[in-house]
Amino acid sequence: MLAALTKKEKDWVDQVIREDEIEKYMIGGRDFIDDEEIWEKIRLNTRPDKSRIREIIAKSMSITLLDPDETAALLNVEDPELWQEMFAAAAEVKRKVYDNRIVTFAPLYGGDLCVNNCLYCGFRRENTVIKRRVLTLEELRRETEVLAGEIGHKRIILVYGEHPATDARFIADAIRAIYDVKVKTKKGYGQIRRVNVNIAPLSVDDLRLLREVGIGTYQVFQETYHHDTYRRLHPAGTLKSHYQWRLYCHHRALEAGVDDVALGALFGLYDWRFEVMGLLYHARDLERQFGIGPHTISFPRLEPAANTPFIQESRYKVSDEDFKKLIAVIRLSVPYTGMILTARESARMRRETIPIGITQTDASTKIGIGAYADRYTEQESERQQFLLGDTRSLDEVIRELAQMGYITSFCTAGYRCGRTGDRIMTLLKTGKEAVFCKLNAVLTFREWLDDFASPETKREGEKVIEKEMAEIRERMPENVYLKLLEYYDRIKDGERDLYF
Amino acid sequence: MAAEVKAEFGARMWLVEVMGKRHSYVAGDRDDSFLPPQVVGLNERYALVSGDWEKIPEKRKRDIIESLRAILIRQ
Repeated sequence: MLAALTKKEKDWVDQVIREDEIEKYMIGGRDFIDDEEIWEKIRLNTRPDKSRIREIIAKSMSITLLDPDETAALLNVEDPELWQEMFAAAAEVKRKVYDNRIVTFAPLYGGDLCVNNCLYCGFRRENTVIKRRVLTLEELRRETEVLAGEIGHKRIILVYGEHPATDARFIADAIRAIYDVKVKTKKGYGQIRRVNVNIAPLSVDDLRLLREVGIGTYQVFQETYHHDTYRRLHPAGTLKSHYQWRLYCHHRALEAGVDDVALGALFGLYDWRFEVMGLLYHARDLERQFGIGPHTISFPRLEPAANTPFIQESRYKVSDEDFKKLIAVIRLSVPYTGMILTARESARMRRETIPIGITQTDASTKIGIGAYADRYTEQESERQQFLLGDTRSLDEVIRELAQMGYITSFCTAGYRCGRTGDRIMTLLKTGKEAVFCKLNAVLTFREWLDDFASPETKREGEKVIEKEMAEIRERMPENVYLKLLEYYDRIKDGERDLYF
Repeated sequence: MAAEVKAEFGARMWLVEVMGKRHSYVAGDRDDSFLPPQVVGLNERYALVSGDWEKIPEKRKRDIIESLRAILIRQ
């Protein structure tokens, strides 16, 4: 039995969904996820032979979106040696599109009020053990000061539940407040340069509001693409129970001119192979209708949450072995997309999966409301949506990435100079974005090492920069290399935010 | 216009819509020269971006900017 909404909440809920902003994208009154068709593709592509899989890998290597039969074939591979080939190919695809950089970010939870009651979510309305709170703009500024001024993040993802107290107007104010924070650091200044959002599906008008304040990426996870499972997990009568309103929110974002959109599924709600197919169909429909695919794809696994027994009871929980497989198949299926692995995963899993094709990860992560400024060190389940698997500091994660041969990037250049939408898609698909990734990784890593690194991490970081500079000198035209050297020296002298 | 400039001077340029920090691609060259992008504001809403400004003669550059500004005023 759902706890009753207040009149204000009910009035707000009643005006959110606009059917005309769903139907216009549908074909023949149907959405693009045909559950039967997906299962049939998976069934028809069992026991694929090696030569076919290698042909599919070759297609991925040409940075071309796979078709559903091809992805279904990859999902059906059983030969362990062939899986090893696929893991290696996934790593190669990532290197081709993004080089060896890993972008880091932090989530910033701004509020946990929610009108929904999703069975798997710690923030669900009926979960009475959760302490409810929405940060004021001043509290958001304090969180930002810690993130940008003490830890050194340049990119955050702002997270809110679905509630009238945190509607699009409020979120727009929150984004402005975060962008306004500028903090003095050891040699320069710290600032959040890209605010991505993970929020509820919005109307085109509300998305235009967020666009006006300069949002980075609009991220919404479908949770599960399986219609019946979606229906069971999102109780009827709740706002989130409308499958298509959620499914088409990225379409609305693109229509509103928010041209960086991010997909995701919560793995563990339904069969992982089906969800991978759902993500592919989603990417294909965005490309078909707008010519712009997902900027990133996320694939979080269910993690324990306070007073949320569904999580322990789910029969679809994804094993570590299958988790690695799904990462490789997503990487090969949507080769140009960014792939986000979060601190939900343990340090060990992050070490093992980053080489498969990850492009972004978070660190120094705190997901309690107000947790960065409060500086609490232990996780507190009653103020978190779920429990994290890896609470290591950004400094520790960066040091480890450097030892693994990766350069950490704080680059936010693309969306500030028109490398967005179909232009970024072109650059990604032709492998040209990788050049920017490397150049901007060097510059932003230099900034971070000088402002925030421990002596030990700085030593490891310097080794990486030296290697990267040598590579750039060899591969890039002389005028580009000389410009990089000029910017690099200026950053060492305390200038900030120079980019290619 | 971007195609003409590219053919004549080998310079790549593209038009963006400016919304706070976000500069969204609107039209123009999709390729890049890998040099730092320099943004020239056309009005409060739009800007022209290129990493190749030095390849374009100063007078031609002024003409391009002025003609785009005139188009934007008319709209």
